[in-house]
Amino acid sequence: MEAGQRSLPGAALAGALALAAALAACGPRADDLPLQVEGGVPVGAVLSLTSNANAYGQDQQIGLELAQAWHQKRRKADSPGAPELSLRLEDGGGDEATATQAFNLLIDAGVVALVGPTLSQQAFAADPIAQRRGVPVVAPSNTATNIPQIGGFISRVSAPSTEIAPLSIAKALELNPSIRRAAVFYAQDDAYSTSESAIFQKALADKGLKPVTVQRTQLNDQDFQNQITGALRQTPDLIVISAQAVDGGNLIRQLRELGYKGSIVVGNGMNTPNIYPICQAYCDGILIAQAYSPELDTPMNREFVALYKLAKGGAIPPQLTAQAFSAYQVVAEALQRLNKRQPLSQFSLADARKALMAELLSGRYDTPLGEIAFSPDGEVVQQRFHVAQVQMKPGSLNGRFALLP
Amino acid sequence: MRDLSLLVQMGFGALLALSVYLPLRCGQLSLATPGFYAIGGYVAALLSTRWPALSGGGASYPLTSLALELLLAALVAGAVALVLGRPVLQLRGIYLAIATIALVEILRVLNLNMAWSGGAVGIFGIPQPFDGPAGYALATGVLLALTCWLCSRLEAMRLGRAMSAIREDELAARCMGIPTADVKLIAFVLSAVIAALTGVLAAHFLNTWNARQGSFDASITTLAFVVFGGSRIWLGPVLGGLVITALPELLRPVGDLRLILFGLVILVGPILFPQGVITPEGLARIRAAVRRA
Repeated sequence: MEAGQRSLPGAALAGALALAAALAACGPRADDLPLQVEGGVPVGAVLSLTSNANAYGQDQQIGLELAQAWHQKRRKADSPGAPELSLRLEDGGGDEATATQAFNLLIDAGVVALVGPTLSQQAFAADPIAQRRGVPVVAPSNTATNIPQIGGFISRVSAPSTEIAPLSIAKALELNPSIRRAAVFYAQDDAYSTSESAIFQKALADKGLKPVTVQRTQLNDQDFQNQITGALRQTPDLIVISAQAVDGGNLIRQLRELGYKGSIVVGNGMNTPNIYPICQAYCDGILIAQAYSPELDTPMNREFVALYKLAKGGAIPPQLTAQAFSAYQVVAEALQRLNKRQPLSQFSLADARKALMAELLSGRYDTPLGEIAFSPDGEVVQQRFHVAQVQMKPGSLNGRFALLP
Repeated sequence: MRDLSLLVQMGFGALLALSVYLPLRCGQLSLATPGFYAIGGYVAALLSTRWPALSGGGASYPLTSLALELLLAALVAGAVALVLGRPVLQLRGIYLAIATIALVEILRVLNLNMAWSGGAVGIFGIPQPFDGPAGYALATGVLLALTCWLCSRLEAMRLGRAMSAIREDELAARCMGIPTADVKLIAFVLSAVIAALTGVLAAHFLNTWNARQGSFDASITTLAFVVFGGSRIWLGPVLGGLVITALPELLRPVGDLRLILFGLVILVGPILFPQGVITPEGLARIRAAVRRA
């Protein structure tokens, strides 16, 4: 009697799970229903608004908000027949499980396309789900290699590190041709930093500069004295860092405090004004390759910069914001073109997703990043990249990414 | 279709909670669960991506290969636990906790630095044995039901009673002739096997596996499942795992406040229920009430 009672909850649990699974298997499939266009075509976004990746998520959130406002305005002014978009933003946290869950949630809610997730590591987990269910994904910030290769429904507007990272090395050598001894630092427990560092090291080797030392750090490290003294013993005149904003900022500060005077090149993880308060005056002079230039002189970018300045009290937009804006713009314009060809309300949800993906890849887009297009497998094709040098205002926590010619 | 994948993750939470619960059942605070979870995940990820013979010719990954992975992961984790268990379980209380944290950290650093584990990027493109979350829900449900059945049987079995005796007083238990070292080792190995089996399913479910899956943070999360749900009876960790995994997702409608609310629940739970939400006494009271009604 006693044992029988005890195992009852277990049986109930198993029963409930089996029932849920059975219900799920035979329920109606949202994919076959017509696309819901009442109140705007549903588009989803998954950004890291919490966890320690939120420094990036916040930049991106502003980009999406500006893009929404901009699209609304333009729709009213130029093309009243264009479809309205209704954006649903979900927090993707900083881990795989949360991003996966957010993707599932939005796909089940019937979104026609997804923007996100913030981190490449999350993309490897969440993108295959969208791919299996046939939902177009436009990644605004994944720079690791092999992301668009996850499948035909995955694309990105963020140029991969393989294209961008070597530029800053070349620029550093151009500014100071006497550089002979390069040291490399990277956060070894971070997917982005590890893969970008490999690209940096290859770029150095291509220039005939074999790193004199490679130092590994951890994302949560605060104190880098061991690695720094180890590196400075080799008297480097160029230090190349792949780390995220917080740990990288601290690393630069400590490098300068311990007396390093040479050039510093950093990767995309520190490509946000959020580093200024961390390394403060010591940020001055570091080199970062950019996929976006606020000084790009096109009508689209001028409009974007003006919108950003209005929203943020005169600040200059960072790359992540521009890329998120572009991702939304790509989805909106592709939907608009598709709608012109065949009204969206005539599509079933599954067909709309498929048609949108084809439309998305075939178009050209005049974005704040400049004119972009996609290769057939979803990789961004971007014309221009830039290298910026951080210039801090003396005695303040403010600075800017000054583009180098 | 909605939220089935959440159900899968809740199942993983409950399984990991049971893996922490088993050593606790004989009074051993082991935080090694994420380490064995990571071992299981790597076994699955490596076998399914590096061994073409396993993936068969079809579109989806064959279930027999999944079964082989489960078997191998259980064997590997069980063997590691068996070898490490003897010396590690000589330690008690907080020292055992520290040693198991060290084990998790060593595994993490190894996985970060070994070439075969893909470093921080890890292994991606893990093939899928099921078409959608429904298959995973079923597999997780079956594994969870089996584990629950085992745990409920333990209450009536000699082994389970020996475990309880060790938890109450290890010295007294030994005086009564219970081979305490062996019993503790069995609990540790069972715990490792459950975590590794969960890891195999999780690796396929997540599509990707990396060193972050088995970290110190994960140790704390799995411990929170047990602290919240209660460690006196197996239903407690199951409830803790299910609820604490689901809560951040179920709270999504409240927007930015969700993690604050989640933190509050974790805080308030142990204050209101210091023994955990589910205790044998509480269950007995519910049973009595049901009988009266």
